[in-house]
Amino acid sequence: MTNTAIIQFNNVTKQYDHDAPVLDHVSFEIERGKFYTLLGPSGCGKTTILRLIAGFTEATSGDIYFNGKKINHIPANKRQVNTVFQDYALFPHLNVFENVAFGLRIKKMKKSQVAAKVKEALSFVNLSGYEDREIKEMSGGQRQRVAIARAIVNEPEVILLDEPLSALDLKLRYQMQYELRELQRRLGITFIFVTHDQEEALAMSDEIFVINKGRIQQSGTPIDIYDEPINRFVADFIGESNIAKATMIDDFLVAFGGEQFSCVDQGMNPNEPVEVVIRPEDLEITSFENGMLQVEVNSQLFRGVHYEITGLDKEGNEWLVQSTKKAAVGDKIGLRFDPEAIHVMRFNETEEDFDRRLDSYSEGEADGK
Amino acid sequence: MENKVSKNLYMIPYALWIILFVIAPILLVLYYSFFDIEGNFSLVNYKNFFTPVYLQMTLSSFWYAFLITAISLLVAYPTAYLLTRTKHKHLWLLLIIVPSWINLLLKAYAFIGIFGAYGVANNFLEWIGIGSRQLLFTDFSFVFVSVYIFIPFMILPIFNALDNLNPSLLYAAKDLGASGWTTFRRVVFPLTIDGVKSGIQVVFIPALSLFMLTRLIAGNRVITLGTAIEQHFLVTQDWGMGSTIAVFLILIMFLFMGLTGFRKRGA
Repeated sequence: MTNTAIIQFNNVTKQYDHDAPVLDHVSFEIERGKFYTLLGPSGCGKTTILRLIAGFTEATSGDIYFNGKKINHIPANKRQVNTVFQDYALFPHLNVFENVAFGLRIKKMKKSQVAAKVKEALSFVNLSGYEDREIKEMSGGQRQRVAIARAIVNEPEVILLDEPLSALDLKLRYQMQYELRELQRRLGITFIFVTHDQEEALAMSDEIFVINKGRIQQSGTPIDIYDEPINRFVADFIGESNIAKATMIDDFLVAFGGEQFSCVDQGMNPNEPVEVVIRPEDLEITSFENGMLQVEVNSQLFRGVHYEITGLDKEGNEWLVQSTKKAAVGDKIGLRFDPEAIHVMRFNETEEDFDRRLDSYSEGEADGK
Repeated sequence: MENKVSKNLYMIPYALWIILFVIAPILLVLYYSFFDIEGNFSLVNYKNFFTPVYLQMTLSSFWYAFLITAISLLVAYPTAYLLTRTKHKHLWLLLIIVPSWINLLLKAYAFIGIFGAYGVANNFLEWIGIGSRQLLFTDFSFVFVSVYIFIPFMILPIFNALDNLNPSLLYAAKDLGASGWTTFRRVVFPLTIDGVKSGIQVVFIPALSLFMLTRLIAGNRVITLGTAIEQHFLVTQDWGMGSTIAVFLILIMFLFMGLTGFRKRGA
């Protein structure tokens, strides 16, 4: 374990009775002071990870370490983590001040100290002067801030956030994304944020864990995960993608849509069946003759900033293009893209193998990644 | 306009009910309380109420009502809490409520059988070696049977309050470092206090005026205000004094309702 790891999961499995496991031999490390996001569809196990860290549930097998100490059986009220709940879970019978002071009062802190700390925490979330308000008088965004203040006032080493923005409207959600990120930087506390919203995850995180069916599919920085998705699930879940069946003819040469293209991927078996991903924003519309790939347009939507055009190639793969140029349904157009835009994914590749393969590319190149 | 008219039309049955069965009897009771046993208008009944006999009776009514309410609460709260944790909580709740549908008199007679000299309770005491003893016509049996009868009424509002409690509040309290007891004291109990209050109301107020059980189970050893009213109306025929006691009982009830507060947050 590295020195900076604050939380470590070691082959953690969580299973209820004889159902399929909610978490299936999950291992990862959380480093101190970073903003982590657990991203995945509902029911993927991301909230279970959070509950395991908070101590609301116990792992069926495997070990959980906090600061190097095993915490599997330590009850929630003895752990140095605090949670911001999805429904905020503010105490309705207490006002804002008492809600934030709850944890401090349990620690039997002196009254003057409690008052000072609550004041500071409320100012951190821009709620100074709201001390005497009742919870039911607060708006959704304000309640959210109270919940965050109630967590940070205890100065935990880790704050767990369980889809805290999902109940807010779009504009407020964007604003809170900035504020949360900013708050995390200022406090330097480790944040573990759970969401199913990939945009939120990309915008806020230092590290993202993409989770599906109780397993971590891929972990990495937002850019890594967006640019180099490990498999179809990740590519599909994060951003818009065009995914096509392909064959890796040789190193740097891949075939799909009835054509062969040069690419930057290597290290696979000759003629290995693979999948390729090309992000819609990497496709450029050109004339039929100049196109590297020819498609027939079958739909077009106006999205404001751009047109969203889909077309079918001769193998029947659908290609989504975001373009400021207009096309018409039934048009035959050409698509252009750079070799770097093609991302090749092997079937059933583990994250370790994937990382090793990507590392070998950068070793091959003089200037690295 | 028509809407208002029809609304008033719907009010008629309710208004009739309230006037005939609530307001009129109270006024009648108030009216009778001003007549002495010979039928002359006087305040002598009110004067009599403040004599040691009746004050003692009031005090003992309060004492037994308090005992019954307190024991019911002590039993009901943990029971309601356990019920909310069970898998088929509404089924278990129903099983607790079902006995309250049985006629009070039948239950009282059943307990006479159980607590009697040769009843099940004494057989059991004999069997475990304590030996049979007088159970019926004691304070113990009176309080025991009363608690038995009132307990569903105490459990129901508390169960509803606990059931409405957002479970994530309990996690939040734990998360902030609260132990089980602290969570109960600072979150669960304050948030279910309205349920407790309505439970106390529906037990304490009827317990003040219990009269049948005082004779059947307590053998008239316990004389409450309810017993006194019954005796005055049916035995001594002193309707005036009976009414006066009833007036005080009604006043006490309103006072008690005011003290425990009407339900606010719909527990």
